Amino acid sequence: MLRTTLAGLRAHKLRLLLTAVAITLGVGFISGTFVLTDTMNEGVAKTFARSADKVDFAVLPSSPDPDERISADTFRKISALPGVTDVHGVVKGDAALVGKDGKAVGDFPTVGISVPSGSLLRYDVDKGRPPSGAGETVLDGALAKREGFTVGDTVTILDGNDRPHRFSVVGLIDFGIDQEAKFFGAVGFDTPTTITMTGERTYREIDIAGGDRRAIEAAAGPADRVYTGTELGAELAKSAGADTEIIRTGLLIFGLVAMLVSALVIYNTFAILIAQRMRETALLRCVGATRRQVFGGVVAESAAVGLAGSLLGLAAGAGLGTAALAGVTRLDAAVQVTAPSLSARTVVLGLAVGVVVTVLSALLPARAATRVAPVAALRSELEPGGGRFRLGRARTVIAVLLGTAGLAIGAFGSLGMEKGQAAMYSVALAGTVFFLAVIAAMPALVRPLARLAGAVPARLGGVPGRLAVANAQRAPRRTATTTIALTVGVGLMSLFAVVAASGKATAAHQLAEQFPVEFQIRTQNLDGRVPPSLAAAVRERPEIAAVVETRRQDARVGGEKEELGTVTPSALGTIVNPEMKAGSLAAAREPGTAMVDEGTAAQPGRGLGDTIQVETSRGTVPVKITAVYGGGAQISGIIVPEADFTGYFGAVDPSNLFVKARDDVPASAARGAVEDAAKPYPAAKVVSAAEFEETMTRAIDTILMIFAGLLGLAIVIALFGIANTLTLSVVERTRESALLRALGLTRRGLRRMLSVEALVMAVIGAVTGVVLGIAFGWAATNAMADDSRFALPYLQVTGYVLLAGAAGMAAAVLPARRAARTSIVEALAHD
Amino acid sequence: MTSTFADPPGNSPAAAAVQAAVTAEDVSKVYGSGDAAVHALRGVSTGFARGAFTAIMGPSGSGKSTLMHCLAGLDTVTGGRIVLGDAEITGMGDRRLTLLRRDRVGFVFQAFNLLPTLTAEQNILLPLQLAGRRPDRAWFARVVDALGLRDRLGHRPSELSGGQQQRVACARAIVARPEVIFADEPTGNLDSRAGAEVLGFLRSSVREMGQTVVMVTHDPVAASYADRVVFLRDGEIVTEIVRPTPAAVLDRLKSLEA
Repeated sequence: MLRTTLAGLRAHKLRLLLTAVAITLGVGFISGTFVLTDTMNEGVAKTFARSADKVDFAVLPSSPDPDERISADTFRKISALPGVTDVHGVVKGDAALVGKDGKAVGDFPTVGISVPSGSLLRYDVDKGRPPSGAGETVLDGALAKREGFTVGDTVTILDGNDRPHRFSVVGLIDFGIDQEAKFFGAVGFDTPTTITMTGERTYREIDIAGGDRRAIEAAAGPADRVYTGTELGAELAKSAGADTEIIRTGLLIFGLVAMLVSALVIYNTFAILIAQRMRETALLRCVGATRRQVFGGVVAESAAVGLAGSLLGLAAGAGLGTAALAGVTRLDAAVQVTAPSLSARTVVLGLAVGVVVTVLSALLPARAATRVAPVAALRSELEPGGGRFRLGRARTVIAVLLGTAGLAIGAFGSLGMEKGQAAMYSVALAGTVFFLAVIAAMPALVRPLARLAGAVPARLGGVPGRLAVANAQRAPRRTATTTIALTVGVGLMSLFAVVAASGKATAAHQLAEQFPVEFQIRTQNLDGRVPPSLAAAVRERPEIAAVVETRRQDARVGGEKEELGTVTPSALGTIVNPEMKAGSLAAAREPGTAMVDEGTAAQPGRGLGDTIQVETSRGTVPVKITAVYGGGAQISGIIVPEADFTGYFGAVDPSNLFVKARDDVPASAARGAVEDAAKPYPAAKVVSAAEFEETMTRAIDTILMIFAGLLGLAIVIALFGIANTLTLSVVERTRESALLRALGLTRRGLRRMLSVEALVMAVIGAVTGVVLGIAFGWAATNAMADDSRFALPYLQVTGYVLLAGAAGMAAAVLPARRAARTSIVEALAHD
Repeated sequence: MTSTFADPPGNSPAAAAVQAAVTAEDVSKVYGSGDAAVHALRGVSTGFARGAFTAIMGPSGSGKSTLMHCLAGLDTVTGGRIVLGDAEITGMGDRRLTLLRRDRVGFVFQAFNLLPTLTAEQNILLPLQLAGRRPDRAWFARVVDALGLRDRLGHRPSELSGGQQQRVACARAIVARPEVIFADEPTGNLDSRAGAEVLGFLRSSVREMGQTVVMVTHDPVAASYADRVVFLRDGEIVTEIVRPTPAAVLDRLKSLEA
């Protein structure tokens, strides 16, 4: 039997390849993910090892808490140990570089890092030399390039209290492996200057040359841990590996979606092949093959296809991973790229996933093959898969049950449950369950959907158009599976698009409704304060209607660390307009009261009517919670009246200024006025609401684009599925096509017929996906939060359907050419 | 089948070779090349008269089907000329050939004549629709009634018997009023009664509607419905019979195969 199977495969190499493509793409993506992340990890590990090689020992806090530091005392003890030839305490803290425009660069302050000059220098000096003395600094190479500074320039850097200092740039450093330096940009000083600038008096890490492990361990004590250079490299690589792990997991989820689509495509291909080979199978049964042998033959065939596809997939994955690596390297030059790493695990996993998915997908068709009666070999052929499809009772029951369950869970999640993560999860579950119902019911839906999707082509496409629409309906199961594969990708895409659009709409609505200001002035440092003189300066401007100040103060409430806030009283209810969930704004203006956000109100002892004990500079004060407000107004936590706040904590500088311009002032003039007023304060950042919204929109759009790119693979596989189904249908309809050609259908007409068929299938799949995506996007939006608003990205989803249709037609090009090329005479003789 | 234009067999055609609907001039057809070359046709010259029913016979491999395919513009010739009506079809490109078949030729094949997705009526009207021509409803009705298909029009091929399917194919071939109908073993898959109905219709279409029919067959009885029978052997026309009878055809065949 195996020999028969292999002979059959050899005879149909092309068909084998076509089927394998789906697996190749899926396995390629998965193994590509592994190749990419493995190589990244390896590169990171190498970089760290090289950097850590320069130290003999390193001391780090043992606690995983990133805020944990090493005391100056420990540093002194270690420095004094016999045998220690050099020691460097790593100090890090905010030190905001001021750009050429006189404002601190970036959204966050740059990091000040201590840079040693001796053998313990772990960073690469790209240009110049390490800094030494109070007047010298080195800049991160990428930062310097972006801001247009180089060796020899003089720059201004703000210290921890936002006071400016002048430095001359003596070198450019590649801080590369330092995560903070990478994200925020970095400036380097010698250690004493770093301590003065950042105000940090403790150490992140102590690097040591020479010395003896035991002595260092004794000096460090239990709070800190001692590593050798090699251990340090491995440890750092491990923590960096966690980042790669997140990337890997994210990519693998999309890989799984792609494999699911591949499974559908494989299942369909095998189902069609089995149907077409009914006579062949019956003949095998006639000459004595048992059912088991027939079954085994199909399974063996699928295993061979899976193996071939997976092998190609591994090759593709290595290529894909390498290409992605090139992209990553361009973005992040710090990672040393090694040769792409194709580990044994990747090979085994890729092959296993590919073969297992293929064989599993072929099991049902294989079972169908065993049901072929030997006598079928003698009967004249019936059209495979044709005829009217009736939902069997089991299928109907399953579809109805799953559909009802999906709708019920979805309705409950989006309307009944309390908003938040749990509700979102139930909507996700509902979506999955309902999708299974759609899979079960799809064969019955193909006819009406095809009539709908084919209405226009059937009218405009003439006879070929009408025939195409009829062809799309003639094998409902086949069309259903082919289209469902596309539904997966398009559905998820529409879902994301709807959720993203709704998120944007919700945010924009909240901002406009609850927070109608044009500008925000804040420091780069999130804990920073804005000088009160700046608020006064802005207020004086004739273009400005109002300035709202918010203040924050850490305090202990009933023994727990909490943050109390306050807002300029005249702004509450007018400019700062939170949605009240319980109590009223007026009640929260009374002395001795507070209002809290919903999250806080949910904690015990923090609800409406509760009284909290606030530790203030004047002792513990009881504060009654008289209102609960919803999110969206840029305030959070416990909010007390301003007069109370001053009473509790004294005069605290505002954390944020919110600026409302006068209505008759053009936006540019208002912006100019605010910028002008903020000019003397390099640390004060002016952010306009429009910019904020734009930044947010762009961030959401970027995420959506990444998702779309990753889902693109699932869609491409589905399109291969359409091409595959069509190719097999073309083979099956060879005589029919020949008859049409004999009767006067031109080659172009025949090609058009097949493209319209593909178009109809693609549109069915895409429309189903879009409908599901919109419905569950709506449910998810509802489940997210109380005040979320649903937005339908019409253009986007219409675009998806059009693109899917066009791509479907593109998928038909090869099968159509093949059909059109076939000689009529030969095809008529074809049996 | 009760045809309105049923006619007893044996009547001579009015004017057999007055004017040819299709003419082959020294037509040859070679498959393959070199040692593997197969000469399917070796210089066939003959004419098929307008308004006549001609049968092409010959043993298997004699080239009768190839000749028909070439005459109908389904296959290209290696040498010689074929003229259909006033058009020389040898040398025509695929598009012109396709349009020619659509507008001027009707086909009845041995099997697989109908599109399974279309009803009988849609199948019958298919060539007209492909050409974008409006069917002549009166003519359509007459053809359908003549073939006894009136109550079968809404059925799909899978719901029709073999004989009914073949009658639908006949209706399709004639409804467009082609210059010539080519029939390739039209009764090969039918029992003798259904076969007789189809053959009777083809003959009466010639007699009463002036249709031209060229039929390939290996069945002497089928051939006896024709006005003239042309015999092929090894790719050449070897003989012909005018006003054939089954016995005469059988005799001639036997002598050819001997």
